Amino acid sequence: MRRLPVYFLLDTSGSMFGEPIQALNNALSGMINTLRTDAQALDSLWISMITFNRDITELMPLTELVNFQLPEISCPQSGPTHTGMALEMLYEKVRTGVQKGTATQKADWKPLLFLFTDGKPSDILLYREMIPKIQSLNFGAIVACAAGHNANDMMLKELTDTVVHLDTADSNTLKQFFRWVSDTIEQGNKSMGTTDSISLPPPPQDIHLVI
Amino acid sequence: MSSAKAYLKTLLSANNITVPDNRSGFFDTFCDSEHNQNIIEQILQNQKKLMENWQIRNRVQDIQDQNLSIPNGMVGKPYQFVIDRQQLRWSDVAIVDIAGLNEIGLQFDSSTNTISGMPVSSGDHKFIISYKLTQEGGVEAQYEKIASLIVNPDARSLWKNIPSDTHDTYWKEDDITSFGALGDKKIVVASKRGRSHANKGSFRDDGFRWLQHASGWGQVVLADGAGSAEYSRKGSEEACKAAVAYFKNKIDPAAFAEFDGLLAEQHQAADALTLRKINLWVYEKLGAAAFHIFKHLEQCAADMQVPLTQLHTTLIFTLFKKYGFGYAILSFGVGDCPIALIGKDESVTLMNWLDVGEYGGGTRFITMPEVFKSDKFATRFNFKLVDDFKYLVMMTDGIYDPKFEVEANLEKPERWKQFFNDLDGGNPDGTRVVFDAANDNIANELSQWMDFWSPGNHDDRTLAIIY
Repeated sequence: MRRLPVYFLLDTSGSMFGEPIQALNNALSGMINTLRTDAQALDSLWISMITFNRDITELMPLTELVNFQLPEISCPQSGPTHTGMALEMLYEKVRTGVQKGTATQKADWKPLLFLFTDGKPSDILLYREMIPKIQSLNFGAIVACAAGHNANDMMLKELTDTVVHLDTADSNTLKQFFRWVSDTIEQGNKSMGTTDSISLPPPPQDIHLVI
Repeated sequence: MSSAKAYLKTLLSANNITVPDNRSGFFDTFCDSEHNQNIIEQILQNQKKLMENWQIRNRVQDIQDQNLSIPNGMVGKPYQFVIDRQQLRWSDVAIVDIAGLNEIGLQFDSSTNTISGMPVSSGDHKFIISYKLTQEGGVEAQYEKIASLIVNPDARSLWKNIPSDTHDTYWKEDDITSFGALGDKKIVVASKRGRSHANKGSFRDDGFRWLQHASGWGQVVLADGAGSAEYSRKGSEEACKAAVAYFKNKIDPAAFAEFDGLLAEQHQAADALTLRKINLWVYEKLGAAAFHIFKHLEQCAADMQVPLTQLHTTLIFTLFKKYGFGYAILSFGVGDCPIALIGKDESVTLMNWLDVGEYGGGTRFITMPEVFKSDKFATRFNFKLVDDFKYLVMMTDGIYDPKFEVEANLEKPERWKQFFNDLDGGNPDGTRVVFDAANDNIANELSQWMDFWSPGNHDDRTLAIIY
């Protein structure tokens, strides 16, 4: 069976404390429940979640949707946003975890990456150092989501062309965003050229594509 | 010192009172009085009780906070999970019952701590574990812990079969079969829309054509439109059409006569020079055909006013002809659809190599100009001269992926044996395709066989077998 590996990098820095982290938990749970009712996703989707604040945690190693159990995500009351360190961990995980095709091994579908943050990287040097490495992994799509007015869209633009901005990180907006994420995931397992990226469905109204 | 005395000492000292030596007799008398003894006894008992209560409640809280991970189930699939008390460090926990399981088709056996049964409804189900703590002895107190069990729907039940829109300009049949004579052989083909397309009501992207040319050559073409390209169904259709039309109308009949001559020469006295000429002929003539198909698709895209990439499709084709001394078989391919020649002795000859990328779905298409500029273009052609063959098999990745998985398996005769055994009814559904010249129902049989279930493999399926 071909796996579609999907990685989530989730900002759990201090600014997410309180209502935002609650909203994130609810939205993720809604997304997983939606995906569970999708025949294609049940048959191919593998999900990993990595959270980042001062520390980087592999909250969920790459796990088949069928066996996936969403853990409760918590965050400290304060602390920096180590996005660069998160990319560093991701790079290793993807490099070793995603199967490439050989004559004797079935290739995975191109992996997808969703990065969610409400701030800007505190470790900006490392962040910039990791960008070309992440891009070299040839993801099917990298979607970066900047939530709230403190998130830095332009910094995310350095990582990927696809940056979406949410005005607030409230429950309703996050739900919309992650619903769109599940629509995007459903695009992920199709045959395409060796270098193409997947085409993204149009985002819902409260989600602005940053041009 | 008695426990009563020890307690009183501690109490006094906690109140900053020390008993001087000259009052130790007084202390003993005070302590030994029956009245005070009773009070102390009571206090000590209460303290003990309080400690026990604390320990029990604290333990209950521990259990409450503990993450109890119960593996997910699936609707209609037997489920069994043993709550491992040792692993949970629950040696003091006696589970009395679990409420809420019956509703979802499960039972709990408290003698073995096993949850089992057949889940009937999907969702994130909550249930209540009632338990006692063994350190409480015979006390009837019960505690409750809420746990959850995720039951996935059966993916098979979720696939919808939504017909495609027959009014669409580029509509094609969801399912199609074909059967007939090709030279002195028979051909059977079935092409089916994949479940991933049926689920959304989208179109079959695969295509095929075959034709017996007047020149004596039989031709079979398969194409697999890219899932990510909007009009790939049109691309695959047009590619097949153009491939057949080229050998019907465009090629100079004299060219075939030249080839016949070369083959006869080679048969009489095989030599390297003639073989080179044959290979050159194949390269030139089939290469021109491939380029013609590319140009045709380019024109189609221009007519449709869409980028050529929207017509992305893979393409394989074979031509074969019977001579007095055997069969000549020619092939060309771009993409990830294999062509295999199975000999009478069940030997396997792969006619083409596959374009497979580092990730799934990554392949090359006949619609990519770089294919024609690549050094490897010349290796996309093949020529074989054989006495006879048992089968000539062509398939799209919708068949290849579930049945052969990886490229290396295509070279293994045992995998082909398994494949034909599968076709012969060696499968869970017992569907059978009888390769007998007298069997007129073979196309239906093949179409039915191609409904096989394979988790994660829901692409369009096209399989052509010449026998």
